[in-house]
This record gives sequence, structure tokens and C-alpha cells, in this order.
Amino acid sequence: MTGFIDLYTEADTFIHRMDPRVKIVAVILLSLVAFLLTNLAYLSILLGLIMLLVYLSRATFSRTMFALKFVLRLMALIIVLWPLFDRSGTPVLASLGPLKITEPAIWRGLTSAVRVGCLATVWYILMFTTSQRDLVRALVKFGLRFDYGLTLAISLRFFPTFLSTIESITDAQRARGMEIEKGNLLKRSRNYVTVLVPAIVSALRTADTLSLALQSRAYGARPDRTYLREIKMRPSDYVALSVIIASLVLPAIARFVFSADI
Amino acid sequence: MSSGDKTASTFRKPVKFVSPKTVALYGTLTALTAAITMATFVPFAPTKGYFNIGDSMVFFSALAFGARAGAICGGIGSAAADILLGSGYFAPYTLVAKGSEGLVSGLIAGKKMDRKWITAFGIAAGGACMVATYFFGELLILNVGLGAALLESVGNALQVVVGGTIGALLAHYVRKAYPRLTEQ
Repeated sequence: MTGFIDLYTEADTFIHRMDPRVKIVAVILLSLVAFLLTNLAYLSILLGLIMLLVYLSRATFSRTMFALKFVLRLMALIIVLWPLFDRSGTPVLASLGPLKITEPAIWRGLTSAVRVGCLATVWYILMFTTSQRDLVRALVKFGLRFDYGLTLAISLRFFPTFLSTIESITDAQRARGMEIEKGNLLKRSRNYVTVLVPAIVSALRTADTLSLALQSRAYGARPDRTYLREIKMRPSDYVALSVIIASLVLPAIARFVFSADI
Repeated sequence: MSSGDKTASTFRKPVKFVSPKTVALYGTLTALTAAITMATFVPFAPTKGYFNIGDSMVFFSALAFGARAGAICGGIGSAAADILLGSGYFAPYTLVAKGSEGLVSGLIAGKKMDRKWITAFGIAAGGACMVATYFFGELLILNVGLGAALLESVGNALQVVVGGTIGALLAHYVRKAYPRLTEQ
């Protein structure tokens, strides 16, 4: 199995202490900035800034590498494939039959790759520094209905449980002589049915028990529910929020009001 | 539960909350979708970076529990798996793509597992929604270029064929193994 059950890394940096709502807004606004910029140099600066924030969030090296693995592969793919499909512009650098590679196409591919790189890495600032519990809390504060928030919290809670259930069912079926890794892709996928049926039945049983547990704890008895831990905006959160908003608004003014080439 | 009793109604669950049964069912189905996506992960499609049979859970939820379950569990579960597998930038597209996949196949074929052709049509229509959302999302919003987007679409279409077959089989077998499923 590849991947992490939870990307959150425990640490005490200023990004960790920031209000999760500010972090969510920051991710959205920084993504918008990436769409706003069209110049390769400015996009590279933005990418550098995002990487700096990822570094400041003190994620472990293995996690950062895991996060960057897909991103770098995607960026390489865009850089290689873009000039093959975009044949506009001069000068033509090389041509082979209908295929020709032009210089502006290479630059456009590079720009697009850096933009995708920005969009892809900005997520990790949020995921590395915010616990799942805080994420759900922030979403509820944003106006997500409490019961939907609870559903989300339940699914995050049971995700590792089901992952280990699936693993032990796979082992049990292997012990009975099933060969999951045998055959072509279609055959191999159909082998998984023997794993998935017990997994689903076990999950549905869990759901039954869980609904009883929810009822016995008087879920939904009162609409005006209270919370043990409230999240509050501190002065430093307002400062961070205004910096983030300024980093979107200033380039937007430069581009749309003064029609600068950014 | 009698409806006219006023003293009892103060302790009863207000109508505005989703029932605990639904909360528990949707929560576990979402978790299961994410877990299966992650457990059956095979690095394959170039842009997103993996092939999985998580679609089978989207189709299963839609076929067995209807459009709403398909949309919510499929969308959120797959998006969560995307984030945990390291392609978080795909999560918004996955939310829309897999959500619409579950919604459309659930609307057409939800809870009608006995009719094979309707099931097949529902899976095909839902799958088309998913492939189209990813293709246009990558081409127009992420702007990865036509080459990468086309390459990804082939992987996605293959995923629909495999996931759809397994999803339909799952809905059939699980109903046999766990007859209470039809009561929910």
C-alpha cells in the first residue's frame, strides 16, 4: 500500500497555530493567484513561496518527497507532451513530418507545468499542518450542517479501520488459496470481488451498530448544540488573512486595472 | 412513535437532522470508498498517477442505496482518497466527477438491480459523466494540454469498465450475503 492514512504532522509552527479557516481560505486564494499569473517568472516566484511555506510547516522529508513525487511526474509529462500538441508560433525548432516543435510552445508548456505545480503543492500546506478534527470543525464553522460534518468525521475515523479490515480479509482469502495478483488487469480486478463482499458486509454491520450508538447518545436531540472546543480567530490570524487577501488583490489590480503583463 | 403526543415530541429527534441511520451508513460507505481506492491502488494512469477500483464502490453505493448515497459517498470518499494518496490538487475535480458519476448512475439505475440493461445503461451514463468531467477539468481549468488529458481519459474509461463490472457484481452478491441491505 502506498500513501498515508493521515498527512498531518505534529509540530508547533506558526502555520500549525493558525486558525484552520484562515488556512482553507489561504489555499483557495493562492490557487486563484496561480490562475491569475501568466508570466513564467512570477509563477516560479509563487512556486518558490509555496515551497518555502511547505518547508516552514516542518513536514518530515519522506512526506514531502511523497507529496512531490506525483507533482514532479505530472510537470514533466506536461513539459514533454505540450509542444507535441501545440504547433503554433515561430521559430520552429525541429520538425518531423506533421510534427513540429516551436519555441513559444515550449515556454507555454513550461508555464503551464509551473502553474500546475503551484496548484498541486499549495494543498500540502493545509494537509500537513491541520488535523482532520480541526478541518471538520472549520468546515462546520463555515456553515456546513452539523450532521454532514459528523458524517465526514465518522468516515475519517473509520477509514484506517476499514483499510486494516480489507488487508486482513485479503490475507484470509490468500490463506484459502486465492491468487489476487494473478492474471491480467481485468481478471485481477475481478479477484477483488471476493475481498470486497466481506468488507462491505462488515462495514454495513458497523453502520448498524454505529447508528444504535448514535441514538443511545441522543444524537440530534437538541438543535442548539454546544461544543467542547471552539475555534476562535486571534489577532495574528487577522494579520495572516489580510496578507493572503493582499497577495491576491494586488496582482489582480495590477492586471485588470493597470493592465500590466504579469 | 405516535405523532400527536406533545410531551414525547420534545424528546424526539427534530426533523431537520439527518437520521442517525443515514449518518452512520453514509459515513461508513464514504470511509469504505476511500479505503478500497487506497487498498487497490495500482500506479497506472500518467497524470493522476494511479489506477484503482474505487469506482466499483461508487457504483455499488449508487446501485444499492440510490443517487444521494452514490453522489455523497462516491464524491467525498474518492476525493479524500485523492488527498491521502498525494494528488490533492485533483480532489475538487474528483469530488465533482465521482459525485456526478454516482448521482447519474443512481438516478438511472438506483435500487433496480434486477433489470440488467438499466443497470448497464446507468453505469455507462455515470461513467461518461466522470470521464468528461476529468477531461474538461484537466483541459480547461488545470490546462495540462490535450496530450496529457487524452491519455488520462483512456485510463479513466478503462476504470469505468472495470469498476462498473465489479460494482454491479458487488450489488448482486452483497444483497445475497446480507439480505437486510434491501430494507435500508
